[in-house]
Amino acid sequence: MTESIQIQLKKGALELCVLALLSRRESYGYEIASTLAVAMGTGEGTIYPLMRRMQNDGLVDTHLVESASGPSRKYYRLTSAGRSAFEAQKREWRHFVSAVSELLGESR
Amino acid sequence: MTRADFLSVLRAGLKGLPAAEVDDIVADYATHFDEGLALGRREEDVAAALGDARQLARELRAEAGLRRWETQRSAATVGAALLALGGLATVDVFILLPLLLVLALAALVTGLVVIALTVVGLGMLAGALPFGHATHWAAALAGFGLAAGGVGVGALVLLAVNGALTLLSRYARLHYRLIKPTTSP
Repeated sequence: MTESIQIQLKKGALELCVLALLSRRESYGYEIASTLAVAMGTGEGTIYPLMRRMQNDGLVDTHLVESASGPSRKYYRLTSAGRSAFEAQKREWRHFVSAVSELLGESR
Repeated sequence: MTRADFLSVLRAGLKGLPAAEVDDIVADYATHFDEGLALGRREEDVAAALGDARQLARELRAEAGLRRWETQRSAATVGAALLALGGLATVDVFILLPLLLVLALAALVTGLVVIALTVVGLGMLAGALPFGHATHWAAALAGFGLAAGGVGVGALVLLAVNGALTLLSRYARLHYRLIKPTTSP
């Protein structure tokens, strides 16, 4: 049960975390996947379907960057729709967290 | 699982999607392997951290099918959405599979009724030709009524299927299992 709650929580927050990462700077699949795998313990394979969905939703766009060593990288960058989605989701998240904290009896 | 194994399982699972899209998806994962290997990780470790290739493929295909149906509502894309959900249902046998079966059965039965009504109605209409006699007129009107009723019920069925699919796709999206880590960090 606790495991499934964790999964649901992570699922809900994952898109927000990707938006947050990309709001700082553009990034490529492997970097996004490994950062979130370390930070949140999500499977690395999860990121790619999510990135496709976000791209289809117009939140990010991509461009290829040749790299001197290894394969050329597909970089993801927030669109303006992505930036406003980030602001909106961040607000909702803060709202949600403070409401839960209050119910848990933790004064803020 | 090696890089080649993972990619071939993934590719096999994506069968049915447009070739360009499959290539695109597989390329993402191939690059992921290359990046990992360049950093000194083993192929098996990268594969394990990525998760179950078959499940990834199922959910990618489901997402593609649902999206096609959402952007372009037609009989063909309803089929695509049903297939997409069907793929997920093979691993969600307790909720999604029964719901999908009920939906398919209900649509099939009402579909048959609609066809029967329309055929009988058109038959009566045709049988009443030429419209000479008063009874012929009555039969023709009844036939026309039946056929029109059939078409009307058919439209209602399409609306119902549309609504049910919307609900099911919402459910399926909430329950994608992609997020589940296969290795603990």
